[in-house]
Amino acid sequence: MSRNNWLLMLSVGVLSLTLISQAAHCADSTEQINNDSCMKCHKRNGKMQGHHAQDGLNLSCSSCHGEKGNHPKKPNNLMVFSADNEIPLIAQNAVCLTCHRATNLGKSEWTHNVHAQKVNCSSCHQLHPQTDPMMTLTAKQRSIECQRCHSVQR
Amino acid sequence: MENSRRHFLKNTCALVAGVSVYPLSGNNAEMEPEINNIKYALLHDESKCIGCNACVEACREVNHVPEGVTRLSIEKTGPFGEYPNQYYHFSRHSCEHCENAPCVTVCPTGAAFIDKETGIVAVNADRCVGCLYCIAACPYEVRFINPVTKTADKCDFCRETNLKEGKQPACVEACPTKALVFGNLKDPESELVARLKANPTERYKQSLGTRPKIFRIKARQGEIIL
Repeated sequence: MSRNNWLLMLSVGVLSLTLISQAAHCADSTEQINNDSCMKCHKRNGKMQGHHAQDGLNLSCSSCHGEKGNHPKKPNNLMVFSADNEIPLIAQNAVCLTCHRATNLGKSEWTHNVHAQKVNCSSCHQLHPQTDPMMTLTAKQRSIECQRCHSVQR
Repeated sequence: MENSRRHFLKNTCALVAGVSVYPLSGNNAEMEPEINNIKYALLHDESKCIGCNACVEACREVNHVPEGVTRLSIEKTGPFGEYPNQYYHFSRHSCEHCENAPCVTVCPTGAAFIDKETGIVAVNADRCVGCLYCIAACPYEVRFINPVTKTADKCDFCRETNLKEGKQPACVEACPTKALVFGNLKDPESELVARLKANPTERYKQSLGTRPKIFRIKARQGEIIL
């Protein structure tokens, strides 16, 4: 009886361990998005890493950048996140806002509220690298970040 | 003989009266220090402040203020308005450099003092025994015990650092939007005086009679338009 119990406990332990490791593997894995057909040409852009790359989110390049359409010919309907192109800022930010709710963004960081529809999300945030530089700012770096735009001549 | 006694009494009375009145006149003179013609003050233009905390970081660096305490903070209120047109108000929280400073009045050792040459309220750390009287007395709640020196600490307009080097206080130098203006109230040519004349300003808790010297231009947003 006691041996049976012991075996049962062992098997449950092994099972849960494998499940946990598999779940962890799933969360970390970025295979899906990096095997996207876009990557056939865009290997030179490096790998897609970071939070948005994880398989659990089930995102592809086109989830944010739009369907291929005419690309690489121009004009095309691809979404490019940058302050230096002619795609309207509101349209660019609307892509992020499909998942991220404005009220929640404002609650987690007040600066979202005052910059809404005035600054591109991509002016501060980077999604492709492993970590978004905005997530690891020190107090000093943070104020320097503000000064990139807000500064007057002395 | 009688004459000389009368003389003696007269003279003694005059002397006693003179001695008792003298310190009163001395006290009056002390209330209004008029040396050097400098009276430093600071203007915070809240309509220009963006809440970036550059002033706080600069103060920490220049004055070696340890983590966990601060001589200066920017208080944020808001958001006001509806998304996506929201805004915040920022106000500076630091020593008000009162002319009638409660911290100086209560200090039993004379560590808290008003520098007569500049009007700056400062702390002589060598004299401070850390009794906390000043911290309890300050109506603006800006004083704290420095965990390194174990003495009372607060903003002194960089009296020991930047001012000695002929520079502006660290916060003023660091402000990216020029929301802080430091200057001499007695210099009619100074930018500070010009700005004070051109704008309606506010000082905190004036009704207490502390005569604070931090002036604030309140943010126009949220104000009633007449």
